[in-house]
Amino acid sequence: MNTAARRIRIGSGGIGAADRIEPGVDLANSGRIEYLAFDCLAERTLALAQIRRLSDETSGYDDRIPDIIAGLESFLRSGNRVVGSFGAANPEAAVAATTAALRKANLDGTKVGLIQGDEARDAVLEHNVFLPEMGCHVNDMVAKLVSAHAYIGAEPIVDLLKEGCQVVVGGRLADPSVYVGPICHELGWALDDWDRVATATLVAHLLECGIGRGGKKDPLAEPGYPMAIVGDDGQVEVTKLDGSDGRIDSTAVKLHLGYEVHDPSAYLTPDISVDFSQVWVEEIGPDRVRVGGARGNPRPETLKVLVGLDLGWKVVAEVSLGGRDCVERARVAAEITNRRLAPVADGISDSLVSVHGADALFGEQMPGGYQADVRLRVAYRCDTREVADSAVKAGNQLYSAAKGGGGVVVNVTRAIGVTPALLPRAAVPLRTDVVLA
Amino acid sequence: MKVHEIADTRCGDKGDISNVCVFVRDPGDWDFLREHLTDDVVRARFGPLVKGTVTRYEFPVLKGLNFVMTEALGGGVSISLRTDPHGKSYASLMDDIELGERGPAAAQ
Repeated sequence: MNTAARRIRIGSGGIGAADRIEPGVDLANSGRIEYLAFDCLAERTLALAQIRRLSDETSGYDDRIPDIIAGLESFLRSGNRVVGSFGAANPEAAVAATTAALRKANLDGTKVGLIQGDEARDAVLEHNVFLPEMGCHVNDMVAKLVSAHAYIGAEPIVDLLKEGCQVVVGGRLADPSVYVGPICHELGWALDDWDRVATATLVAHLLECGIGRGGKKDPLAEPGYPMAIVGDDGQVEVTKLDGSDGRIDSTAVKLHLGYEVHDPSAYLTPDISVDFSQVWVEEIGPDRVRVGGARGNPRPETLKVLVGLDLGWKVVAEVSLGGRDCVERARVAAEITNRRLAPVADGISDSLVSVHGADALFGEQMPGGYQADVRLRVAYRCDTREVADSAVKAGNQLYSAAKGGGGVVVNVTRAIGVTPALLPRAAVPLRTDVVLA
Repeated sequence: MKVHEIADTRCGDKGDISNVCVFVRDPGDWDFLREHLTDDVVRARFGPLVKGTVTRYEFPVLKGLNFVMTEALGGGVSISLRTDPHGKSYASLMDDIELGERGPAAAQ
C-alpha cells in the first residue's frame, strides 16, 4: 500500500429528487467509497418545493431522506459521509427529517451539518436584479415572484466536514459543489488553489448528472452510478461497480464533458471558472478511465440566482386521430379549439399546436400511403385559474372538434417559470450549524 | 455524410439555452467536421426552433464542437409549452445534419 499518497473515493448517489436510490446504496455498501454525494435539484425543483412549503411549513425538501438514510445505515455506521442538496426550499426541515431517520436507524449522536442562506428572495428585490431571459427587472414582476435561490459553493460543506459532520444537508448547493467540498476537504486542497479546485470540479462535473448511464450493454438493465478515485497528486480515475450496467469509456467522458457546458474555457460554478478545453481522457480498463487537464481561474465575483415566477397555469390537451386525412383533421380540430377559446384569448399568454406522428392506434395494420395515426397536442399558458378552466373545457371538447378522434387526455398544472439572474456574493450570507441526531 | 456517421452527440439545457456537443469518433474526421459543421449550418437546420444566437466552441484535445443556442427552448424547461421542453431531442436533429461528400483524399 502506498502510504505517501492520500486519496478520496467518492460516488454519485443520484442526480435528481425523482432519481432511483438503489444504485447509490449499492455503491455505498460495496466498500469502495467513503463519500456519497447527491445533487437533488433540477432547475425547476426548487420553485416547486417552495410552493409546497408555502402550503405546509414543514415540507419543501427531498422526501427521499428517510429511505436514503435507511439504505445507508451500515455505510454511516462505518464512519462514512454523505453530502447532498436534500434541503431544497427547506434545509432546516430536511435536517429534522435526517436526524429523525438517523435515530430510527439507531445512529443517535451522528453529527449533521445544516447549510442555510441560499434563499435570496429579499436580496433579489433589494438589488432589483435584471432577468435577461425575461427582458425586465425583478421589481417589474414582483407580483409573480415565487422564489429566489442562489447557487452556493463548496465552502460551507468543507467547514461542516471539518467539524466532523457525517451528513451535510444544504439547499441550492451547486451540483458540482457537493463533490468539490468532500474532495477538497479530504485532500486538504485550499478552495483558492485554482488548478486543484479545477481538478475537483472536473471530477464533480463527470459524476453529477449521471455519466455512464448511456451506452448500456443490456438495454433493459438498470445502470449503476459512477464513482471516482482522486489522489492528492491530482490523479483521477472515474469508474463504476463491476456487474452494474452502463458504460464508462472515453466516449462517455467526452459527451458528458460537453453536457450543459457553454464556453469550454470558462465553465462557471460558485467555486471557480474552469478551463475544460485542454481536458484529456485515457481508457485504463473496462469501465475505467483516467482524466485530467482541467485548469482553474478565480471564481466569479457574482453568484447565479434562479428566480421562480408564477406564470399562471399550463393546460395541455391531446387527442389521437388515425387513417385517411388524419393530419388535416387534427389541424382542423386545433383551429376549432382555438376558436372556442377566443372569448378568453386575452388571458392566454402563449399557445402551441403540435401534431405528433406515431403508430399508437393501428400499429402496422394500416396500409401505407398516408400516416397511420397522429396525436394532436394543444397547449395554453393561462394567466388565471378561470381561463385555465376554460382551456380544460375546450380540451375535453376535442372529442367533438376532432373528427374521428379518441383518447382525449387533458392536464392542467401550475406554470412556474425559473429564470436566471446574478447577485453579488456579499448579498448571500451563509450560515452553518451542527445538529446532533 | 451525416453527422451521426462520424460523431457522437449529446445535448443539455440551462434555462432557455440549449447546448449540443459533437465529438468525432475518429480523429481523422476532425478537420472535415470543423470545416462543414459551422454555426451557420446548425442555425439553418434548427431554423425557427432557435430564436437567439448559435455560437460554436471547440474541445481541441478531445476533438469536439459545442454549439450553444440561446432562446432555444421555447422560454426554458419551466415555461415552454413544447412537448420536449428540455430539448432532449436536439441531439437527434444534430445527428441528421448533412455534411456533404467526404472527399477521397480525406477518406480513411
